[in-house]
Formats: sequence, structure tokens, C-alpha cells
Amino acid sequence: MGKILCATRGGEASYPTQDAVIALAKNQGDELVFLCVVDMSFLNKTAAPVVVNVELGMEKLGHFQLVMAQERAAEQGLEAGGIVRMGHLREELVAVAEEIGATIIVMGSSLGPDATFEDAALQAFAADLQTETGVEVRILEHSD
Amino acid sequence: MKRYGLYGLVSVGIVGLIGGIWWLLAHPTEGGFGPSFFISTGIFLLVFAAISLRWMHETAAALLGAAAVWLVHYIGGTFFPNLHIIDFEESMAFVDWNVIWLIMGMMIFMAMFSETGAINWVAFRIFRLAKGNAWLLMMSLVILTGVLSTFLNNLTAILLLVPLSIEIAQTVGIHPFTFVIPEVLASNIGGAATIIGDPPGTIVGSHLGLSFGEYLVNMAPIAILSMVPFLIIIGWLYRRELAGAKVQFSPTLVVRLEADALITDVPLLRKAGLVGLLMMILFLTGDYFGGMPPAVIALSGAAILVAWVRPDMHRMLREVDWTTLIFFIGIFVLVGGLEATGVIAWIAGIIGDLAGDNLSLATVLMVWLPGFASGIVDNIPFTVAALPVSDFLTAMIPGAENMVLYWALILGADLGGNSTIIGSAPNIVAVGLLGQAGYRLGFGRFMRDGVPVTIVTLLLATVWLLVRY
Repeated sequence: MGKILCATRGGEASYPTQDAVIALAKNQGDELVFLCVVDMSFLNKTAAPVVVNVELGMEKLGHFQLVMAQERAAEQGLEAGGIVRMGHLREELVAVAEEIGATIIVMGSSLGPDATFEDAALQAFAADLQTETGVEVRILEHSD
Repeated sequence: MKRYGLYGLVSVGIVGLIGGIWWLLAHPTEGGFGPSFFISTGIFLLVFAAISLRWMHETAAALLGAAAVWLVHYIGGTFFPNLHIIDFEESMAFVDWNVIWLIMGMMIFMAMFSETGAINWVAFRIFRLAKGNAWLLMMSLVILTGVLSTFLNNLTAILLLVPLSIEIAQTVGIHPFTFVIPEVLASNIGGAATIIGDPPGTIVGSHLGLSFGEYLVNMAPIAILSMVPFLIIIGWLYRRELAGAKVQFSPTLVVRLEADALITDVPLLRKAGLVGLLMMILFLTGDYFGGMPPAVIALSGAAILVAWVRPDMHRMLREVDWTTLIFFIGIFVLVGGLEATGVIAWIAGIIGDLAGDNLSLATVLMVWLPGFASGIVDNIPFTVAALPVSDFLTAMIPGAENMVLYWALILGADLGGNSTIIGSAPNIVAVGLLGQAGYRLGFGRFMRDGVPVTIVTLLLATVWLLVRY
């Protein structure tokens, strides 16, 4: 039995990927873990006073997004795990893949307005990630 | 051939520029456009571009600009006396320390208050009380944001409310833009109501030596009035999304939502609430106590709370956002350079010529020019630069002593910030918060809501200023 690690932020654009990875885990009989990485570097874009604990609020939001993904999995008959990390997507994906002993890392190929990557950038990112972790990185195709 | 033509043009341009600079350095002028005039303008414009186009962090750009002003003054001025812009001591006189202390005091108070979790608790109660009525829920969250922006500041209100608002939107099954964009717009409108709500108001209010009450009496009515058409517009813009909201919610999500909205520190909430109340009383009665400046009240409140709660002072001081304070100092120095070299007087002269003795025309210009500019450039340096222009026009135009041009500047800078995603700090931060939740808010999408709200509120502000003053 393998372990699939799927990076997700939540949001409507991620639902097709979540559904596809849930189906994949069920078909392969693998364990599924969703990972939500919260990157706070956007706060560097302004000099306005950021004195509240935004990280805490965003970490809670990350957990909420994972609860939604896990609920989605439960509706389809699969119990999924969830991990929230603060930092950069690439570093955290590598670290968590190693920590949990992931056998497949899954990413979505959404090209909608909410997509994180352009297609070519996603392919390059996946190839780099596979080289660095030694874990198969699979991009799930869907057409939203 | 085209490429050689381009090279030729660029070469001619460079030679012309070098020749022009050399001519300026070799021909000192008295009271006219000397080299220091152009250099201080060039530095300011470069900093402005760096900030507005996000070439580098705002604080780094402002600091670099201030350093450039001093380096040109001291090193360049040693060889060419007409390169004197402003010396270090003179430029320190342009720094409004009242603004710095006021922001610092409020930062300390807000950092401690935000740890109580009270704002999220209130937002969750609103969710409960709305009982699935999405329209009521949106309006209540938006009004809450507007009110919080007046007493905390607009960015803090957004930082505290937006993550939970995204959760609430997802729970009721509607797109988070439905709550978050109106909240951002409300924060910029609400922020105009008080001297602590938004940096442009803090800068202008402090420059005029206004008390909290004096500012409130003049700005709160129009801020409240602006909320009326704003709520109508957003209610109409989001009518379809709101109609499609769920009535039955996932119990798992509601449990999670409630867990995220707990009051985390009740004793701290009691203390911060009491100190906050005391600060508000002093803000409102400051005139009675010899015109106590808002900065004194903010710092006193912060000091009392720190002494009472006894937090880890190292952590507390780390939480003060020093980048903001350095940014403000850098901008004050840059604008000091512009004033010392006559740039501000020159710009004010142009606007003065345009407006003549017509106070109404000057008022319209002082609302709409900052209103337009705030959508495309950072409204903090713009306000600092426009403030001496208001001084000049107020002194020149008969009837302007009622300070109408200053109110116009505040309203233009605050309300104009609603037109684009880069118009103000809450807009920029909300885009980042939404992006982290998987919702990318683009320029055009924000403008769909922001532009009509900006136009209507600026129109209302213009009419109100012309009628009242």
C-alpha cells in the first residue's frame, strides 16, 4: 500500500484535482494525505503595519481548507489525512514527502484563472520535484 | 536599420541628458529650476515608481531615496554648490514624529488586542445570527469591517477578518469574493472616518494638529454617508451569488468554523477592552485636556496595557512593524527634499493657477486628483507630497481657511484607493490572503466592483464638501 501526497490550497479550482486524486487513491488502495502550504511572503508587498498574528489566522484557514478536502474524500468513501505547513511550496512538499514516506506526489493541472502555475511551469516544477525527492510526481489532467 | 536608428536616438538622448546636466551644474540659478530641483524630483519619482510598480519593498525604496537625497547633498554639494538639496538636520524637521508615535502606539495596542480572538468571535456570532440569510450575513460583515477600520485601522481589520470570512463564504457555499471584496472596499471607506483609520488621514490630521474629535466631526459623517450607496451597489453587484447561497451547512465545517473563532485569551480581552475604552474616551475628550495629541493617547494606552499584561517585551517589540515607521520617515525626508528645492511650491503654483481664486474648483481638484492617483500609485507618499500643496492653496485661496482642501485630500486619497487592487494596503493584502486560499483576484475583477464604488463615493464626497464648507 502506497501513500499519495497531494498539495492543495482549496478553492474551486482545486476540486477537480481533489476528486481525481481521491479516485486514484481508491483505485490503487493507497493512503491519501492532503498538504496545504501557506506562504506569507505576499505581506512583503506593503510597508503598512502588519502587527496582528496573520500566520495564525492563515494556518486556521489552511486547516479549514483541508477539512473541506477531507470531507470531499469522506463523501466518496475515503478517509484522507491532512497537513498544514507554513513556508514555500517546494521546500515543504519535499520535506513532507520525506517525512511521511510518500510514494506518489500528485499535482493538479488546472489552467483556470485560479491556477497556481502555467502549464509549462507546472511540468518543469514537477520534473524538478521528482529529481529532488526521488518520488514519482504525477500531474492529474482535467479540463476545468 | 531600425535597430541602428533606435541606437542613434538613444545615443542622442544620453548625450543630450549629460549635456543638460552639465549645463545645469555649470549655470547656477537663483530661485529657479536648479539641478537640485530636478535631482530631488527625479529621486522622488524613481522611489514612487519603485513602490507603485513593486520593484522593491516600499520601505527599501523610501530608505534608498532618503539616502540618495543626503548623498547628493553632501557629496555632490561639495563639488557643485547648486546640488545642495537638504541636509540631515533640516530633513529631520520634515519628519512628523506625531505620526510615527501615533502609529507605533496603535501598533502595540493592536498587536495585543488581536491576540484575544475577539474579532473572529464577533464574526462567527454574526454568522450564527444571520441563520443562513446570506444577504444579511454579507451586509453585517461589511459593516463590521467598516466599523473596525475606524477604531483599529483598515489594514488590521482586513487581516483579522478576511481569513475567517473566506471560511464563512465556503461554509455557505458562495465565492469568497462576495464577502472579501466588499470588506476591502468598506475598510477604505471606514478608515476615512477617524484619524487612526487610514494613513492619509493620520498624516493630514497630525500635520494640522487635529484632535481625534475634531477629525471625527469632520470626516465621520461623510464616511457614514458613503456607506449607504456603497451597500446598495454591492448588494446589487452580488445579488446572484447571494441568492445561490446554501441554507443547510456542513456540520463538520460549522464545527471547524466555531473552533477557529474562539476567544483565546479572556483575561487579555478584559484588560485590552478596558484600556481600549479608556483610550476612546480620551480620544473623544482630548480637546478638554489641553488638546492632548492622539499620539499621546495611543502611546499611553499601549504603555498601560504593556504594564498591565506584562507580555514578553522582546516579542512585543518584534511585533511592532518597524518597516512601516522607517517607510514613513523615508517618505517625509524625500518630500522635505522636494519642499526645500521648490518643487512643491512649483506644483502648488500650477494647481493654484488652474483653480485661480475659485475655492470650489480647487476643492474638486483636491478630491479627484488624489482620488485618481490613489488608484495607481501608493497613497501614502502621494498624501505626504500633496499636503504642502494643500498648505499653499489654503494660504492663497480666499475662504479655504476652513480646511476644506485638507478634507478633500483625505477623502480623495482614502476613497480613491478603492479603484484598483494596488490602491491601498488592505487591497494588496486581501489579494494575497485570497490567493493563499486558492482564489486569484485579478486587476479587472477587483475594478469591476472598485471603480463604480470609487466614482460614486468620490462624487458624494465632492458634493458634501461643496455643500458643507
